[in-house]
Amino acid sequence: MSPLAPDDSGACSVLYEMGGVTVICDAGGCAGNVCGFDEPRWFEKRSALFSAGLRDMDAILGRDDLLVKKLALICEQVDTQFTAIVGTPVPAVIATDLKALERMSEKKTGLPCIALNTDGTRLYDYGEQMAYYRIFERFATERLTVKKGKLGVIGATPLNTGETDSKMIKLALKNVGFDDVVCFGMDSGLEEVGRASECEKILVIAPSGIKAARLLQERFGTPFEVGYPSMGTRLLPSDEAVAATHGLKGKRVLIVHQQFLANALRKKYERAAGCEVTVASFFMMHDEYMRDGDKRLKEEEDLISLAKSGEYDIIAADPRFERMLKGTDVKLFPLIHFAVGGMLNKEK
Amino acid sequence: MNEAFYITAGELAERGFEYLPAELDSSKHMIYSSPATLDFNSPGAKGFGVKRAGLVIPGSVMLLIAPGCCGRNTALLSNLGYDERFFYLMLDDTDIVTGRYVSKIPQACEELLAELDYTPSVIMLCCTCVDALLGTDMERVCRACFEKTGVRAAPAYMYALTREKRLPPMGLVRKSIYSLLEPQKRVSNECNILGFFSSLEDNNEIYPILKAAGIKKIHEIGRCKTFEDYKQLSRANFSIVLNSEARAAAQDMEERLGIPFIELTRMYRLDKIHNQYRLMGDALGTRLDDSEYLEKTKALVEDFRARHGELSLAVGESLDADSFELSLALCEYGFKVRDIFGTVGERNFVFIKKLAAVSPETRIYSNLSPTMMNFTPDPEIDAVIGADACYYYKNIPGIEFNSEAQPFGYRGVELLFAGLDKALAGEGEQRS
Repeated sequence: MSPLAPDDSGACSVLYEMGGVTVICDAGGCAGNVCGFDEPRWFEKRSALFSAGLRDMDAILGRDDLLVKKLALICEQVDTQFTAIVGTPVPAVIATDLKALERMSEKKTGLPCIALNTDGTRLYDYGEQMAYYRIFERFATERLTVKKGKLGVIGATPLNTGETDSKMIKLALKNVGFDDVVCFGMDSGLEEVGRASECEKILVIAPSGIKAARLLQERFGTPFEVGYPSMGTRLLPSDEAVAATHGLKGKRVLIVHQQFLANALRKKYERAAGCEVTVASFFMMHDEYMRDGDKRLKEEEDLISLAKSGEYDIIAADPRFERMLKGTDVKLFPLIHFAVGGMLNKEK
Repeated sequence: MNEAFYITAGELAERGFEYLPAELDSSKHMIYSSPATLDFNSPGAKGFGVKRAGLVIPGSVMLLIAPGCCGRNTALLSNLGYDERFFYLMLDDTDIVTGRYVSKIPQACEELLAELDYTPSVIMLCCTCVDALLGTDMERVCRACFEKTGVRAAPAYMYALTREKRLPPMGLVRKSIYSLLEPQKRVSNECNILGFFSSLEDNNEIYPILKAAGIKKIHEIGRCKTFEDYKQLSRANFSIVLNSEARAAAQDMEERLGIPFIELTRMYRLDKIHNQYRLMGDALGTRLDDSEYLEKTKALVEDFRARHGELSLAVGESLDADSFELSLALCEYGFKVRDIFGTVGERNFVFIKKLAAVSPETRIYSNLSPTMMNFTPDPEIDAVIGADACYYYKNIPGIEFNSEAQPFGYRGVELLFAGLDKALAGEGEQRS
């Protein structure tokens, strides 16, 4: 099947609404994959996301100075608070010193720069984790008075949630008592990152956000918890909806998604339908949130083997995985994951 | 933020091609992957990129040898039914630094063949910027794959890094897809049409015109259903090249198969179309009679002009035309082209010079300029042409004019005005 969303897409997803100039250090194809496929907000919300437009001689001769010159030019054309450089296979092959590029850019533009060492070979959550960490490390530095009831959400990207805005997430959290919610990087920018210490609590809704949440905890003492908001009939249905789902009661279910959404769904399946549930993921899984028997998947074969094992009646996973269930009796429950199939919840 | 950069046709012609403003020179600024022109930056995002083009040979499959990021958008092609024809050899970070994966490619071919219940006509090996930088000898890799599997392999170079080279990726892939043809006895009344991955639109006048000149069979790769159909392309007596990106392929066919070629250009000015048919007739040693089509199309344009008056138009570049030649044609037909979104090159600068004479105030924008983020639509525009122009002018009647079935010649002009007619009548032409 088509590759899963790569690390450079994840990094861009976090940076997309932060208000900086983001440069994908590529020849154009990677930027095309990000803008044309992995970033559904590209068609809804403007962002200063560009390709470095590298050509073979730029790569062969290592023309970092030209890249910095172009970056400085763009900073004169676009209002921005910082710059970011996102790595791809091209700088990886020619061993570009991204740290040096970061320093050169800061010197030339006078703006903070973060260079992210992605290379297009890893998965999106790796890039997201790196971007979240660097952005909070660099810009969430001021200790402000904690606002009672303010909740900060880390991990809200289309790749994790299948949402292009924070409406549904905020609505779901409002229903459980949080009126003041900020989804970092989704309908909010760098200013909110700078005010992160105001949050009474952080909710991490995807594994890629844990590292940044720990940073905020260490820096400001802000506690965090992991979870996923129940968004009605969307990815995480209500208990009532789960109970009413035909053919689910008492079944052995394998949920394949990002770990925190899968864990939240597991609880519902167990509670409302008495299912026996295992969680598996091709993406990062933190040990402390895994149960015995949960699976890390590496290859397509791993999922095919699980489907053929006879241990599951149902696999809840993105419809793109359906081909892997061929020749088995396992039933697929569609569970949209944008980082897999590139579909949004609203396209269901 | 700066406003979207533009220069008028008059100013640009006066500066000359040697003194292009930096905003029109993509090597001097970052590239804006405008939603309007994603297909420029993302081979495969729309239409035929290298990946889809490589699969135009009937019965072929493709092995994409790349880091995950390069193959991500192949999911888009799944909707077009390509799922069963794509295979992946995913590279990790050690692979891309050491190049160790190259020796695994023949093995990967063998494994993919084991997955299929048929023998493909060819395995297209799609390689990326990584191989461009590592200098992988893909011809040699293809030979190794053939030795290992007995199935032919051909390269599909998805080298975005070399887009502005003399032979860019879309030229190379055209060469590759005809590379499997083998010499055979040529048939005097058969010819090829080269240039596009899909066929010309069925009602194109070139078919009856060539038929009247004695051509019995016209081969196009886009009409080949089987590998046997494909093999017949090497029977042709001559090829007609309709897109300069196919020139290298035609030259290769001339050298290897002895098939000479004639090159035509897709134009929208009637006198130029007529002239091209005359020149093609001269080259073939016959007179091609296009008078019926010329008169009919001339009347059609005049009728459209009479019904709609002096429309103000914006013309993009994501369309089946050269944006500057099309704009020039529209101006000569009596319309106003106020905006052009295009990429200025040495080849099309000649049209800009002519445009400057008839419409010096026409604004020329570069889709790739970061300043396009701040483009403001002109309220005076009546209709737009091109998928990118449709994006910038969302609420204006417009046509993408960017179809699979390729327009050409008089029929191209007819399709253009028929589409505009519908759009202006509010009959829901497809938009971006």
